[in-house]
Amino acid sequence: MSTATTTHTILRAEGFSCPSCVAKIEKQVGRLPGVESVQVHFASARIEVHHDASVTTVDDLVAAVAKAGYTARPSAF
Amino acid sequence: MNPVQKVVRGKWFIPGLSGLLILASLLVDRTIGGELTARWWIDAGAHATGSDVFTLADLLMLLAAVVAGHQIVVKAVNALLTRVIGIDLLVSVAAIGAVLIGNFWEAAAVTFLFAIGHALEAATLNKTRSALAELVAVAPDFAIVLRDGEQVEVPAGQVAMGEIVLVKNGAKVPVDGQVVAGTGAIDEASITGESIPVEKAKADQVFAGTVSRGGFLQVLATGIGADTTLARIIHRVEEAQDAKAKTQAFIDRFSAWYTPAVMVLAVVAGLISGDVVLALTLLVIGCPGALVISIPVAIVAGIGRAARNGILIKGGEFLETSARISAVAVDKTGTLTEGRPELTDVVVLAPGHDRASVLRWAAAAEAGSEHPLARPIIDAARAEGVATEGIPEGVTPVPGKGIVAEVEGRRVRIGNPPLLEEHGITEDNGAGRAATELAAVGRTPMIVAVDDTVIGLVAVADRIREDAPEMVRRLHEAGVDKVVMLTGDTRLVAEAIGGATGIDEIHASLLPEDKLDAVARLQRDGHTVAMVGDGVNDAPALATADIGVAMGAAGSAVAVETADIALMGDNLLKLPEAISLARRTARVMRQNIAIALITVVVLLAGVFAGGVTMSIGMLVHEVSVLVVIVNAMRLLRNQTRPTVPGRPAARRYRPRRAWHAGSPVPDGDSAPAPRRAPRAVRSSARR
Repeated sequence: MSTATTTHTILRAEGFSCPSCVAKIEKQVGRLPGVESVQVHFASARIEVHHDASVTTVDDLVAAVAKAGYTARPSAF
Repeated sequence: MNPVQKVVRGKWFIPGLSGLLILASLLVDRTIGGELTARWWIDAGAHATGSDVFTLADLLMLLAAVVAGHQIVVKAVNALLTRVIGIDLLVSVAAIGAVLIGNFWEAAAVTFLFAIGHALEAATLNKTRSALAELVAVAPDFAIVLRDGEQVEVPAGQVAMGEIVLVKNGAKVPVDGQVVAGTGAIDEASITGESIPVEKAKADQVFAGTVSRGGFLQVLATGIGADTTLARIIHRVEEAQDAKAKTQAFIDRFSAWYTPAVMVLAVVAGLISGDVVLALTLLVIGCPGALVISIPVAIVAGIGRAARNGILIKGGEFLETSARISAVAVDKTGTLTEGRPELTDVVVLAPGHDRASVLRWAAAAEAGSEHPLARPIIDAARAEGVATEGIPEGVTPVPGKGIVAEVEGRRVRIGNPPLLEEHGITEDNGAGRAATELAAVGRTPMIVAVDDTVIGLVAVADRIREDAPEMVRRLHEAGVDKVVMLTGDTRLVAEAIGGATGIDEIHASLLPEDKLDAVARLQRDGHTVAMVGDGVNDAPALATADIGVAMGAAGSAVAVETADIALMGDNLLKLPEAISLARRTARVMRQNIAIALITVVVLLAGVFAGGVTMSIGMLVHEVSVLVVIVNAMRLLRNQTRPTVPGRPAARRYRPRRAWHAGSPVPDGDSAPAPRRAPRAVRSSARR
C-alpha cells in the first residue's frame, strides 16, 4: 500500500447539469497516474480525489476535470 | 484562458452557434433557396422536406444539428459505455433518425432545444447550489498570526493549533478559537444565521468564517482548516445534499426502467404504424429529464436555504420526515428557559430579620453546597453585598430535601418543607403556605431556618426565554398539532412555565428514560415526533424521536454531527422556521413530480392524437425541466416573515453577550443580565 504518500484533495466544480457528467469526470480523473480513487458528488458539485501528490498534482486534477468540460477549483475542505 | 477560448468553452457557445445556423438556414431558405446538390437521403414520404433537392438551407440546418448534437451523441456513447441508458441516448437516436429520413429541421430543432435546455439547466442548477457556494465563500483566505512577537500573514490553512491569531476590524476570523485578549463585535451570521453582531471578550469562543464588525481580538486557535465549525457545516450540508431522499431512491429505480421502456414503446409504435417520425417523436418526449431532476433540485435548494439561515438538516430523508412533524417535544431547561436559575424572591418571616439577613444565612449555608440551586443564592448575596467570608462547617446534604450546615456556631437549615418535618420543626411561621404560592408561579422555594426558627424563604427560578411563547405559537402555525414539555422538574413549576408559554401538554418529574417513554407514547399515538434537547440527558429521547433537534450547536462539534437538525444559533424561532421550510420543500417535490408526469402524459396523448411534432415535444419537455428547477428555486427566496429582523435593523451594531454551548455557567462578575436587552430589541424589531 502506498497510503503514506496519498493526499486527499477536494475540488469544487461548476456546471454539473446531469448525473452522466459524474461518470465522465470519474473516468477522466481516474485515468491519471497516481490517482487511487475519485468520487464525484453530483448534488453538491464536489469532487473528492485520493492521489499521490508527487505523481499527479492538484493542478493536473483541475486540468483533467477541465478536459471533461468542467471548471473546478481546489478547496481547503 | 483567453477571451475567445472562454466564449468557446462557455456553456452558451454551442446552443448559440447552433441557433445562429438555424436562423441562417431559415434566411437562406427564404431568400436564395438555391440548389446545392442532388437529393441523397432516404425518401420518407410526406415527412421529408418535400423538395427533391438538397439546398444550402438544408446544409446549414444539418450543420446546426451536428453542432448542437455532437456533444449529445458523445455523452450518449459515454453513458452507454458505463451501461447507462439515459436521456442523451434517446435524443441522439431521435436526432440521427431525423437526419436519416431527411428531416433536418426536426433534427436541428431537437438538438438545439436540448442543448439550450442543458445550458439553462446548468445555470439554474448552479443557482440552487448558490446557498452552499455562499457558505464556502465565507471561508477565510488568510490569517494574521503572531509569531515571535511579529505579525505574519499566512494562508488560513497554515495556522497551527495553539497559535495566536489577530482579528482586526472588518477582517474574517480565520480559525475557531478562544479570545485571549481584546474585545470586539463579531457578526456570526455565516454560522448561526443571526445577523446581530455578538460582543466578544476574553474566554469567549469565536468561529472561522465570522466577520469582525469592530474591535481587536487576539484569538488562540483551537480549530483550523477542516476542523473548524464552518468546515463541519459545509461538510454536513454537502453530505445532506448528496444523500438521497426516499422519494429520490424511488425515482431512480423508476427511471432505470422507464427509459428502456420508452425505447421499447417507440420501437413497437414504429413497427406497428410504420411511421418512423412517430417513433422518433416518442423517443424525444419520453425523456425523463424533469422527473430525474425534480427531487434533487428541491432538496439541494431546501437544504441550502436552511443552511443559510443557520439550520443544518442532515439530509433529504430528514427533510421529508420533518415535513410530517405533528408533535414537538421540548426539554424545559435550556430550551423554554434560559437554563440558568436566578434568585427571584426573598421572603422574611421572623421578627428581627430582614431581606439581607435571610439572604446572608441562606448563602452562608449554601456556600458549602454543590447543588445547582446554591449558585444563584450565593451570586445574589454577593451582588447585594451581604455575602459572608469563610466556609460553613459540618455541611450535611439531605438528598432531595436540602442541607444542614453549621455557620458561626449556629445551625442553619435550608430546603423544602419535608426537611423541616424531618428535623421536627413544626412552627413554620407560614413558610409552607408561602412555598406553595411560590411554586405555583414556577419558582423553586427554599425555607431558611436558623437554630430551629424559620426566618424566611428564598426562591430561585429559571427564567422563561422571551421567544418561547412565540415559538410555540409559530409551531402551531407551521402545522404542528402538539407541543409537549418534558422536564425533570416538579409539576407545579412545570405547569407555571407551561402556562406562560402555551405548551399543550406537560410531563413533569421525568427521568431520562421517562422522556424516552413520553416520546415513544407520542409515536404510538400516530405522531411524527421532533425532540429538542441539549443532547446529554435527553440523548435517549433524541434518538427515539423521528427527528432529533440540537440547539445552539455552533459551539458543539458533536451536536453538528449527531443531530438530525442542528440549529446553529440560540434562536428558538429557528425551529418553526425549519419545519415550515421542510414542508415547503416537500410540497415542491410533490409539485415537481406532478409537473414531470403530467407533461409526459399530455405529450404522449398529443403524439397519438397527432399535432405534437418532435421539436414541439422537445420544447415542451425542456420547458418542463426549467419549470421544475424554477419551482425549486422558490425555496431559496426568503419567507414572508423572516425570523431575523430586516437588513436595516440587522446592520445596526447591537452588542450582546455571547452564548456558547458547553461552556460552564458564567461566574459572578459576568452576570447573565446583559442578555435581556437585545432579546427585547429583536422581538420589537420583528413586529
